[in-house]
Amino acid sequence: MKKEEPRWLEVLKIALPLCLSYIPIGLACGILLNVAGFNVILTGLVSILVFSGGAQFLLASMLTANAPIHTVLIMLFFLELRYALLGSSISQYLRNTSKKFLYIFAVSLNDENYAVNYLKFATDKSWTPKDALKVEHYSLLFWTFANIVGSLIGNLLSVDLAIVDYALTALFIYMIVMQVANKLTIVVSFVAAVFAIISMVVLKSTMGLVVSTLLASFVGFAAEDYLVKHGKKRGFLLRKIKPKASRSVISKSGDN
Amino acid sequence: MTEKTMEHLILIILSMLVAFGPRFIPLRIFSTRDIPKWFNEWMKYVPVSLFTALVVKDVFIDTSAGYVFTGIHNMAKIIASLIVIVVAYRSRSMGLSVVLGLTAVTLLAIVFTV
Repeated sequence: MKKEEPRWLEVLKIALPLCLSYIPIGLACGILLNVAGFNVILTGLVSILVFSGGAQFLLASMLTANAPIHTVLIMLFFLELRYALLGSSISQYLRNTSKKFLYIFAVSLNDENYAVNYLKFATDKSWTPKDALKVEHYSLLFWTFANIVGSLIGNLLSVDLAIVDYALTALFIYMIVMQVANKLTIVVSFVAAVFAIISMVVLKSTMGLVVSTLLASFVGFAAEDYLVKHGKKRGFLLRKIKPKASRSVISKSGDN
Repeated sequence: MTEKTMEHLILIILSMLVAFGPRFIPLRIFSTRDIPKWFNEWMKYVPVSLFTALVVKDVFIDTSAGYVFTGIHNMAKIIASLIVIVVAYRSRSMGLSVVLGLTAVTLLAIVFTV
């Protein structure tokens, strides 16, 4: 007979693979924020309040590039817009919770804890909104800790910015790969790449990122709409890609 | 508190608001109502478009020279990116992808231009 574990420990075990993967990225992020001129307290604060790897990396790299505040905020808004999708898709499991709970839940929602929680909600009937909130808070704790340590390390050593900056790019490539559901997603990604190069070279600013994102996502939306309406839902472009590794790895991080 | 710190603090608070809106509003609306289909379908392609644009900016655009397309000049980053794609696809691990990507770009920078 297995001894009954306290619930917080059970949830921690589920969240742990995610929490551990935050450590190297959090360290890199803390180092970059330090280079961008954030002290330890500000780094801790931004980790808690914004709590988004992509957004914090972007803040750091745009601050070091002396981008104007409004450009930084527009870019952040588009970057964070994806949470609208995550939020709306997980909302079906959060019915019958209070407004206050939703508020607290939204504050520390992010890509990775969403992935864990969505999987648990979908596969485990005993998974409650409170458990989901615990996962969010564990990941927040590890993330903030790693950022603070990174900020302290950043004080001690000098780093090649061009190289540490690449952590952000690697993170985004990882997120692109995770987004790929069918061949159309890959096509959209290439379209976005071409639009991005053209619009940045023409506009000579990061506004090019905003323009290309709007255009490319619209192309994807229109293309899918066209394919579905013309009965090609199971055709070459929209057929689902099943990555070989995904099942075992996802269940390893979600079900143990 | 220095002026710079004050400026950063304001930026953090504004960033928090910008980050909170997209997380909270749909969660609030759709926990009592159904999600319109078109909204979901459009949102689906925003992340992949934005992430691609950000990757392209780092790998193919020289921002310090006034946003010039650099082609295959940043060979270290191009090869490292291909490595990250393979690692991410095979492992589905964020930590591993970032750490191996950083290692690859550090080593490749010895031979190629970053």
